[in-house]
Amino acid sequence: MTDTSVIFERPSAPEADGSAVHVRGLRMSFGGTEVLHGVDFDVRYGEVFCLLGPNGAGKTTTLEILEGFRAPTGGQVRVLGLDPAEQPARLRERAGMVLQECGFPRQVRVAELIDLWRTYYPNPRPLADLLEVVELSEVRNTQVRKLSGGQRRRLDFALALAGDPDLVFLDEPTTGFDPEARRRCWAAIENLRGLGKTILLTTHYLDEAERLADRIAILRAGRIELAGTTHEVAIRAGLATRISFTTPSALRRGQVPPPDGIDLAVRGSESVCHTGNAAMTLRLLLAWALEHRLGDLDGLAVTAPRLEDTYLQLTRDPP
Amino acid sequence: MTRTIRLAARQALLEQRSFWRSAEYALFTFAFPLMILLLIGAANVGSHLPGTDIKNTTVFVPGILAFGVIVAAYVNLGSKVAVLRHDGVLKRIRTTPLPSGAYIGGLLVSTVATAILITAATALIGWLAFGAGPRPSELLALAGGLVLGTVCFAALGLAVSSVITSAESAGPVAYASFLPIAIISGVFDPTFSGLPAWLSRLVAAFPVKALAEVLQNAYAIRPFPAWDLVNLGLWTAAGAAFAAWRFRWHS
Repeated sequence: MTDTSVIFERPSAPEADGSAVHVRGLRMSFGGTEVLHGVDFDVRYGEVFCLLGPNGAGKTTTLEILEGFRAPTGGQVRVLGLDPAEQPARLRERAGMVLQECGFPRQVRVAELIDLWRTYYPNPRPLADLLEVVELSEVRNTQVRKLSGGQRRRLDFALALAGDPDLVFLDEPTTGFDPEARRRCWAAIENLRGLGKTILLTTHYLDEAERLADRIAILRAGRIELAGTTHEVAIRAGLATRISFTTPSALRRGQVPPPDGIDLAVRGSESVCHTGNAAMTLRLLLAWALEHRLGDLDGLAVTAPRLEDTYLQLTRDPP
Repeated sequence: MTRTIRLAARQALLEQRSFWRSAEYALFTFAFPLMILLLIGAANVGSHLPGTDIKNTTVFVPGILAFGVIVAAYVNLGSKVAVLRHDGVLKRIRTTPLPSGAYIGGLLVSTVATAILITAATALIGWLAFGAGPRPSELLALAGGLVLGTVCFAALGLAVSSVITSAESAGPVAYASFLPIAIISGVFDPTFSGLPAWLSRLVAAFPVKALAEVLQNAYAIRPFPAWDLVNLGLWTAAGAAFAAWRFRWHS
């Protein structure tokens, strides 16, 4: 560990517009059918950005354009300040890519393969460091074909990291994995974040987006429906904050009138309302409780809108 | 340029290491030609080509040299690339800044190394077991023929890899597409004859008999194989052109 414990951090050179990935009006057609209808988003340096959407939304196509595997039909794309379609080789020196399904050569060992990959890059990360980040140090001398699915995916990460990239693309990194394998993949992705890498990942798993991402864009049927932090996305989807409290007995017995200006539903022992303006509603509720001597409203709970609700609502509605 | 060469060498080294690690594969690649050499060679000891004083083994051994070159360059490289493509390894290579030339170059260098080893083993065993060695004056011609054969069949191997659609069929397709031609080309039987004229012309059009004759010329005095050299040159060009045209990084 003496020589490899030193981790060199090259500061990411911010591009002119300050974002690692810049996408404007991105359009893509296959044989006359348009699958991306003007996609816009930005990924900032050092953040984990998640492109979330159901299968067939255009996530992989978008990623393939950013990775320089496809030239877009229209729009503007800059990745690390480069045009991926024009400068794929330069991009690949600075961006690591984990594709959905990619095999390994047969009959090679883990450390051997990572070491080979390190020779492809001008400034590779130390081998021991790579093994550690993806938690494969114990299997470094194991033949690749003997690894489990989760281990293989983490080896994917190690290969994508071999050149010490500024940006890492992860296309559906945990699809089809059992909970334990997913948990370990997430841990590896969080290690990548800890190294200060910018990460752009796609997923159709909400919990993955919610757990890993700083910011999220929901892509559906070739359009960005919503983008922002997890919280912002939920709010912008127009989902209401839920306020609930234990129904005071005076209210249940009809001895006090319900509060004015609040759409309060009394469901037996619990009273619930939904609001787009939580602060205002709370003020009204507490004023009403004070006026009718109902105390502090037992069991008062304010629940922020959740990403899952947003996502389900969006993907349920026909486009 | 030096970087590309260094990367190709590095790639070739790992290819060779993993080739030898898969013992059964390596053994089969070597054992197949060598077994044929010993078994059929033994059956030909003491016989001469009809109407000549050329020993059967003197033309048989270089025939097996040709066979070994084809196994190393055509079968091995062709099925290897098909499997790499099918497994998504080629696709993964595309995510790195490794120049395509360095990668393909590495595969070719590894192929050449395998071909050299098979050739050396075949020539040595042929000489020790049957006393069949090349004419000292033709050593350079023999080396040239081996290089041309390796290049030609490597090009054809890359070409055939593009028409193989699955990893499982890679080996069988590669073998099945040349073994019958090798048999009717007389590679395994120095006295093989009696083909209908049209089939003889067909066999002469393929590069297997051509390579065998070029190598046989270095062992025994035969007419200068000018047409065989033209044949191999044309197949090399056709194979390389087809490989370049149809090469895909993904399946």
